[in-house]
Amino acid sequence: MTTRVRRRTIAAATVVVVAAIAIVVLAFQLSGNITYFRTVSEAVDQRASERDQRIRLAGEVVPGTLRETRTGVTFRVTDGKDTVTVVHQGDPPGLFKDGVPVVCEGEWGAGAVFDSDRILIKHGSEYEPPKVDAKQAR
Amino acid sequence: MRRATPGVADGPALLNGTLSIVLGWTALAALITLAILGLWVAPPDAVQGDAQRLMYVHVPAAWLAYLAFGVTALASVLYLWRRTRSPVWDRVAGASAELGVIFTGLCLVLGSMWGRPVWGTWWEWEARLVSTAVLFFLYVGYLALRRIPGPGRAKRCAIAALIAFVDVPIVHFSVEWWRTLHQQATVFNPDLNPEIHGTMAFTLVFGVLAFTLLYVFLLDRRYTLETLEEGREERELEQAIAERTGTAELVDAGGYTATLALRLRRARKSLPGSGGETSR
Repeated sequence: MTTRVRRRTIAAATVVVVAAIAIVVLAFQLSGNITYFRTVSEAVDQRASERDQRIRLAGEVVPGTLRETRTGVTFRVTDGKDTVTVVHQGDPPGLFKDGVPVVCEGEWGAGAVFDSDRILIKHGSEYEPPKVDAKQAR
Repeated sequence: MRRATPGVADGPALLNGTLSIVLGWTALAALITLAILGLWVAPPDAVQGDAQRLMYVHVPAAWLAYLAFGVTALASVLYLWRRTRSPVWDRVAGASAELGVIFTGLCLVLGSMWGRPVWGTWWEWEARLVSTAVLFFLYVGYLALRRIPGPGRAKRCAIAALIAFVDVPIVHFSVEWWRTLHQQATVFNPDLNPEIHGTMAFTLVFGVLAFTLLYVFLLDRRYTLETLEEGREERELEQAIAERTGTAELVDAGGYTATLALRLRRARKSLPGSGGETSR
């Protein structure tokens, strides 16, 4: 009786451990597909092979580069290493401004320009109250 | 062979009645205070403005999901371990998992409401969001499994609860392991260096405490309900057996009519005989 119970316990433990390992391995194996965005420099490196693919490009909006166009906006994004010009169709989201980290969805256009039709804001994990004079600047 | 865990009474409730009532009112007061702190006392975020206030309920909801599924996993281990096996742990596991599902759902909905104004999207197919949705459905499946009767039901569920729990650390570390739209942890980040201070940090911690009080209160209530349900099922089963074997007696008000009908039938049967005990 005890050996039977022990055997069952071992079997149950094995199932749990194997399931856990399987999930973790699967998760890491899939990490290529799970990659939600490419940094600007990664995207630039892979530009030749990803010419007609829809990708997500993440970087910070370079201050002072934001200009309105007839159909949307254009600005430059950087990851500190490379900088790319983004031409976006449509209105950028409400929190979009200089220096904000963004994820642009779209594909490479002619030359080194990235044609985007969807912008998401990737905000950080810091929270703070607004500074007194920052209120005036807004 | 089956003995209750020392210190844990196999009674109808986990907490004593007065404690439960006090806890319930305290939790309510704490939630009202949280609403005041979160909506008026805490300052708006420098970048996100008022939308950031959703953090004070979104993060506590996520914390409760972790806590509830953690309790389910622990109770399942205590059930599986022969020395501590008791129906108490099975009920705790079930009650806690139900709360976990509710708060995971709440976390997803609140997160979605927060994501729309800040990220610019209700939903994205990225690791944190998807692993959380998976967590929700894993435990919905667990709750369904609990409803399938039969021998070994509790043991089967305890094993399932442990397998499902694997997703909890995946959800928590998804923002570190993969690139996600969701930001990294503010408080429980790898450096354990909170990126929030002052009134905002206080409100967040207060929210976590308030939700935890609510969890303990609800866990006890749900546990009590579960014992009562099990008791009723047992009584109904006894009643049914008694009726079949013709030894029915008044068990409760619900069984009253059934018992009366049975007595009547028995009385009629005895009529054509030698008068019996029931003469007219």
